[in-house]
Amino acid sequence: MATATQTLSERFDPKMLAALEGLDFKARYVMEGFLSGLHNSPFHGFSVEFSDYRNYQPGDDLRHLDWRLYARSDRLCIKRYMQETNARFYVVCDTSASMKYQGGAAWGSKLECAKVLAAALTWFLLKQNDAAGMVTLSGESEVPEYIRASQRPNQFGLMLRQLESLRATGGASLSLLLEQTIRLVHRRSVILFFSDLLEPSDEVARGFKQLSFHGHEVIIFQVLDRDETEFPFTESRLFEDLETGVRRMVTPAAARASYLARFNAFMEAHLELFRSLEMTHCVVHTDENPWRALALFLAERKRLK
Amino acid sequence: MPFFFLNPWFWLGALMVAAPIWLHLRRKRETNLVEFTGLRFLDDQPEPRRSPLRLRDLVLFALRVLALLALVAAFAWPYLRGANTAPVKESRVYILDNTLSHQANDGFTRDRDRVLSEVSKGPSDIQIAVIELTSVPRVVVSFGENREAAKQKLKELEPSYQRGSYLPAFRQANSLLGNSLGEQKRIILLGDNQENQWTENVNSPPFLRNVDIELPKISALALPNLSLSEPRVQRIFLGDKSLVNFTVKLRHAGEAKTANIVLRANEQVIFNRAVELEKQPETILLQAQWEADPAAWLRGDVSVDGTPDALAGDNRVFFSLAPVVEGKVALLAQSQYLRLALSPEVMRGQWATRVLDPTKLAAELAGSEDADVLVVESNYLQSGDARKLLWRYVTNGRGVLLLVNRVTPSISGCLRDLGFEAEGTVSMEKGGAERFQFVYSNHPIFHPFLSPDYGSLMDVKVSKYVQIKGSQAMPLIFSEKGAGLFFQGTKFPGKLFVAAFGLDREHTSWPVDQTFVPFLDLTLQTARAEDPTPTTFEPAEISKIQLPVGSAVKEVSLRDERQVLSRAPVEQGRTQVRMPEKPGVYSLTYDDGTQVEKMFSVNPSPKESQLAYVDAPEALKVWRVNLPPGTVNAAAVAARGKLSLSGILQQHWWWWMVVGGLAALMLEMALADIKRERV
Repeated sequence: MATATQTLSERFDPKMLAALEGLDFKARYVMEGFLSGLHNSPFHGFSVEFSDYRNYQPGDDLRHLDWRLYARSDRLCIKRYMQETNARFYVVCDTSASMKYQGGAAWGSKLECAKVLAAALTWFLLKQNDAAGMVTLSGESEVPEYIRASQRPNQFGLMLRQLESLRATGGASLSLLLEQTIRLVHRRSVILFFSDLLEPSDEVARGFKQLSFHGHEVIIFQVLDRDETEFPFTESRLFEDLETGVRRMVTPAAARASYLARFNAFMEAHLELFRSLEMTHCVVHTDENPWRALALFLAERKRLK
Repeated sequence: MPFFFLNPWFWLGALMVAAPIWLHLRRKRETNLVEFTGLRFLDDQPEPRRSPLRLRDLVLFALRVLALLALVAAFAWPYLRGANTAPVKESRVYILDNTLSHQANDGFTRDRDRVLSEVSKGPSDIQIAVIELTSVPRVVVSFGENREAAKQKLKELEPSYQRGSYLPAFRQANSLLGNSLGEQKRIILLGDNQENQWTENVNSPPFLRNVDIELPKISALALPNLSLSEPRVQRIFLGDKSLVNFTVKLRHAGEAKTANIVLRANEQVIFNRAVELEKQPETILLQAQWEADPAAWLRGDVSVDGTPDALAGDNRVFFSLAPVVEGKVALLAQSQYLRLALSPEVMRGQWATRVLDPTKLAAELAGSEDADVLVVESNYLQSGDARKLLWRYVTNGRGVLLLVNRVTPSISGCLRDLGFEAEGTVSMEKGGAERFQFVYSNHPIFHPFLSPDYGSLMDVKVSKYVQIKGSQAMPLIFSEKGAGLFFQGTKFPGKLFVAAFGLDREHTSWPVDQTFVPFLDLTLQTARAEDPTPTTFEPAEISKIQLPVGSAVKEVSLRDERQVLSRAPVEQGRTQVRMPEKPGVYSLTYDDGTQVEKMFSVNPSPKESQLAYVDAPEALKVWRVNLPPGTVNAAAVAARGKLSLSGILQQHWWWWMVVGGLAALMLEMALADIKRERV
């Protein structure tokens, strides 16, 4: 598996991905490339399974006639099948203003990265006859955009349009997004949560706890830029917060150590939270191959089965 | 151009005012700013120092303010029309009447000198424009023109012989004032207040708004005048004699008792004698006849001299007459008198007659050599070919003289097609023949018969005629009982004359009357296709000349007796020539040739000779826009605020301030760039 991932990473071209127009193409590029690169795919054998018999009716396809049963009992019966799993997945995407950040090395902004991942996963899930839905907040309003989980043929297009319309313009809205997700998603589902989680609020932790309490499985894709995790700035600059507009005069050489210490502590706190809630957490960097996150998801999905 | 938000100048001004503000705001953007997400991990870092509200660059600030002030002031300047800022108190347009009538008592020269004096001595806060009133009014001096140049132009003005109307001159003056700067607007008419110049446009809708009008004061309601007009000349053949018949109208107003008339033709004095004017009507028709070579051009003039006479410019009129060109007549008639009158023995040199054979009309129809005039008796119209031939002549613009000596149903049908209704035949015994009762003497055919030398048409008797009614015709002769005897049809392009009787002794005594041959000649002359170009014009009138089909002429030249006056190119067989301003006889030649092709006589309009004046013309009251009471002040204020493009552009301050503002802007930009590069 590791070899396969390495090979795939070599084949991944961030420029290619950035140049592709439309989320649909990007999703397919990511997912199909990923699937075709796997040598030992965990998805082989997905098919319909036998359920029961019913009497033959003129006009039925003879291919589904059970000839063995006919030989044994002299009855003409048609085999009936049941489609495999029907898990419900919900894509929940953070659209706070911090998600529009794009560092120098990134192939897209954090929101673009989240959108590509979400679209790729949606495409994959629908291909596998799982139901997919979505919860987002539209812009700065507190009104959620909700797409009910479904496996209809047009579901992918519906979700794709919704994803494409997302703009990182809102303020700090993570807790609200969690609250709306809890309110809207009633049945036990798998929540695919895309966010940078850069929101200092106890309400966020409470939201995750409530999700867990409601029996949802949560997979958190924390999308971060390399600038945020490594703070590579060198020149003294005026920094302005994308969400709050707060400004600081920063001398990176002096501030880097403090920043990284505080940032790592913040990440640790989150990891601790997710471990305690038994939630899967995956950090996705905007300058790296998203397939790592996909591999993690697929492994997790197998576990959920 | 009033001030409103659709005014392009407003938007241009707004754009220019917005430019430095935009530049300023554009530079306010921080170039050292990093938008980041994890500021919560950097809250131990210092907050940036806020810029105090103080002027950091006085020069830049001063330049920006200067540019703004200059531009705003520049755009506001034309609207500040107070006493201190308005450069022009009054805009004044002089309408200098340069029509012939204003030459009476040297009126034009006197008024021209007055305008010259006004232009020389007028204060600088009065704008002056001058319009010369001729047949087409023209602006001689416009507002803002250099006064020395204006004086020079005015000095060059000469009295003209043209006819002009006040209306277009006032319209042009009003238009000029509409684009003027003066708070007060005034039109001063320097003319003679001639009555007919005011009355001919009295029904024009009002157009003069907020304009003061100053009219000349007249000393008398009429001036004495002797004038000649409407010279008319025709050729007449009496036996072997080729005569010229000339008439002219002499108009006299005032106390003149006698007038001396001199008539000259081809440099010979034809007539020179005094005419008694006392107890004569105001307009006298003078007539003269003399022998003249029919093959040569005739040119001449007639003049009148007498006292008192306020206007000398209308005392002489000119005339010209083309040489005779032998015409062709096609004759389809049995009348021996007609055949004799049209025979070469009688009409040699004037008319060449071809007698048509009634049995060979089909061949005539097949041919294409039509004569100038077809003379036909109605009894031949029973033949279909004759009817076709007649139809061809009238529809092709040729002349036809139809003698209705017989009426049958088919002939009646043919007459109906020509616009006539035959209602039966009237025949009388010898003693009861009817004479001509009324003859339309102003018609070219009968005009010469006003002279007794040609005999009297009233002696002609008609004993048998067809009762004809012309629905599309004009009767020219009536019988004693009021029946129409001779008609001119108006339905066709060709000239059609219809006599209600045949020209033989059975019908009339005319063939043996002395008026018969002149009548026949004049009828044929009138019936034949004419040159469409008129030969008499007023001064400076435009003549459109159609050259013969297939002509290769490239240029025409208008000449007087000594030199070529003007040349005009010929395009597609047509050309346009402007007649000289001075009355006279002028000839037209083709290309570089000297052979006279046409001759024109230029005479002043007879209306200019009517020296009757009005003190308070009615037309002016009609032309003025009557504002309801109470709106005068508002209208005056609106007029004050009303601006024109030319008005704005004429204000030098406006330009200087715009230029100053732009210069300040450029300096500011340059300075800001230098400073930014240093940073």
